[in-house]
Amino acid sequence: MAASLVRFVRGGLGRSYNLARSACVLQQQTRLQSSDTSPTIRPKDAVAHSQLAAFGEFVAEMMPKYIQQVQVTCFNELEVMIHPDGVVPVLTFLKDHTNAQFRNMIDLTAVDVPSRQNRFEIVYHLMSLRYNSRIRIKTYTDELSPVDSVVSVHNAANWYEREVWDMYGVFFANHPDLRRILTDYGFEGHPFRKDFPLSGYVEVRYDDEMKRVVAEPVELSQEFRKFDLNTPWEVFPAYREPKEVAPKLEAGDAAPEKK
Amino acid sequence: MAGLLKKTTGLVGLAVSHNPHERLRNLYSKILASLQTMPQDAAYRKYTEQLVGERFNHVQTEPDVDKLENKINCGQIEEVIFQAECELSLARKMSEWKPWEPLIEEPPNNQWKWPV
Amino acid sequence: MASTAATRAAAGASKVVKPIFSRDLDEAKRRVRELYRAWYREIPNSVALFQLDINVRQGRDKVREMFDRNKHVNDPRVIDMLVIKGKMELQETIHVWKQKTHIMRYFSESQEPRPKDFLSKFYSGHDP
Repeated sequence: MAASLVRFVRGGLGRSYNLARSACVLQQQTRLQSSDTSPTIRPKDAVAHSQLAAFGEFVAEMMPKYIQQVQVTCFNELEVMIHPDGVVPVLTFLKDHTNAQFRNMIDLTAVDVPSRQNRFEIVYHLMSLRYNSRIRIKTYTDELSPVDSVVSVHNAANWYEREVWDMYGVFFANHPDLRRILTDYGFEGHPFRKDFPLSGYVEVRYDDEMKRVVAEPVELSQEFRKFDLNTPWEVFPAYREPKEVAPKLEAGDAAPEKK
Repeated sequence: MAGLLKKTTGLVGLAVSHNPHERLRNLYSKILASLQTMPQDAAYRKYTEQLVGERFNHVQTEPDVDKLENKINCGQIEEVIFQAECELSLARKMSEWKPWEPLIEEPPNNQWKWPV
Repeated sequence: MASTAATRAAAGASKVVKPIFSRDLDEAKRRVRELYRAWYREIPNSVALFQLDINVRQGRDKVREMFDRNKHVNDPRVIDMLVIKGKMELQETIHVWKQKTHIMRYFSESQEPRPKDFLSKFYSGHDP
C-alpha cells in the first residue's frame, strides 16, 4: 500500500551534470545519496522524505473519501490532492487533529491551466508550528463551480479568497465578505487568467474637459508583438516523461486511492 | 500542585489550568464516547482511539503535572488540554462528514499531471 | 468568460453540475429581476449622491442596457455568476466606494464612435 500510494516525483539530482561523461556515476550517486563532493547539488534527505511520505499516507488513510493522490516532491514538500468537496473537512482535520495541528494558513492561491477540464487549481499552504512542518493541499475547479470557503476554519483565508476571486474569478461559497480587493471599481475581467490580454481591455487617462479620469478601450499604435521567449534548453529535465512505463507496484492493492 | 506556583503559560490567550487532570479526563472520555459512533474499521477511529487512550492512561496514572507533561511530550498541559478540545470538536464533525467512505469522485484525466 | 463557460457547459450538459445558487432557469431569472429592481430603486439615490450630470431616466436606461447586454445567456450558473458580479457593483455604488468617474465610465462619453466608411478610416490612420 505504501509504495503504491505515494507517487515520488523524480528527484532534481544531477540537473546540472554533464550527462555524457557521468551518466552511470550519476545513477550510482543518486542511489547512494552522497553529494558531499558536489555542493551545487541539493542533498537528498531520505529521512525527511520518508517521514513526509509516511504522514501523507496517514492522512490518505484517515480521509479516503476526499483524498485523490498524495505525493512528495523532489524538494521534500508534501502535496495532498483532494476533491473540491473535501476542502473544509480536510483542512479542519489537519488543523484540529492532534497528530497534525496545521494551525497556520501560510498561503492560498490558484493556478490557471486553461487546457484542463477544470482549469483552476486552488492551492493551500499550511504550517504546523508544533511539528515544524508544512503541507500543500491542492484542489480543482472551473469558472462556474463554487469552492467552499475555508474562512470558518482559517480566518487568514478571508483576504486570500478575495484575492483569488478578484484575480481568477473563482467563486467561494459561504465567504463572509467576498468582493474585489486589488482591482479598481468597475474593472472588468480577471487579470490572472491566462486568456486575459497582457495589455488589458481599457486604458485610463485624465480628461481635461470633463475634469475626471476616463477609461477607453486600449488602442495600440502597433499591434502587440508576440515574442518567443522560450529557451532553447530543456527547462524541466526532472519532469521528462518516462520512456518506458514504470512497472506496476502490487497490482490490485490500494486501487481506489491510486491515480 | 503546579498550578499554585505557575503564574502563566507564556502563551497569549492560554490561561493556566488549575485542575488539568479533571479537565483532561473529562475531555478524553467525551472524545472516546463520540468515537464509539463511528464504524470499527474507520482509520480515524482506530488511530484516535489509540492516541487518546495512551494519553488518557498517562493522565490516570500520573498525578504530577510536570511528569505528565514529560510523558505526553506535546507541550505544556494547557496546550494538551487545547489539543484535546480541538480533537473533540473534530471528532464530532467527523461523524457528520464520514470521511472513511470510499473516494467520492476520481479526478478528471490529467488533472494532476504536471507539466501539462 | 461567460461564452467559453457556456459552451463548455453545453458540451457537458449530460454531466450533473453543482449549482451556484439557482437550481433552474426560473429561479435564476427571479434573482435577475430582484437585482434589476434593486438597481432601479438605487438610481435616484446615486444620481443625487454622486452629483451626476444625468437625470434619473438616463440612469435607468443605462441599467436596462447593461442588463439587456446579457439577455442571450441561458445557463443558470452563468446567470448566477453575472448576478453575483452585479450585486457587488451595486454594493460598491451604494456604499459610495466608487467615485464619480467609475459611475460615468458606463456612459463612455469620451469615446469617439469608430470610423465606418473608407475615407474616415483612412484618415484615422490605423485599424483599416
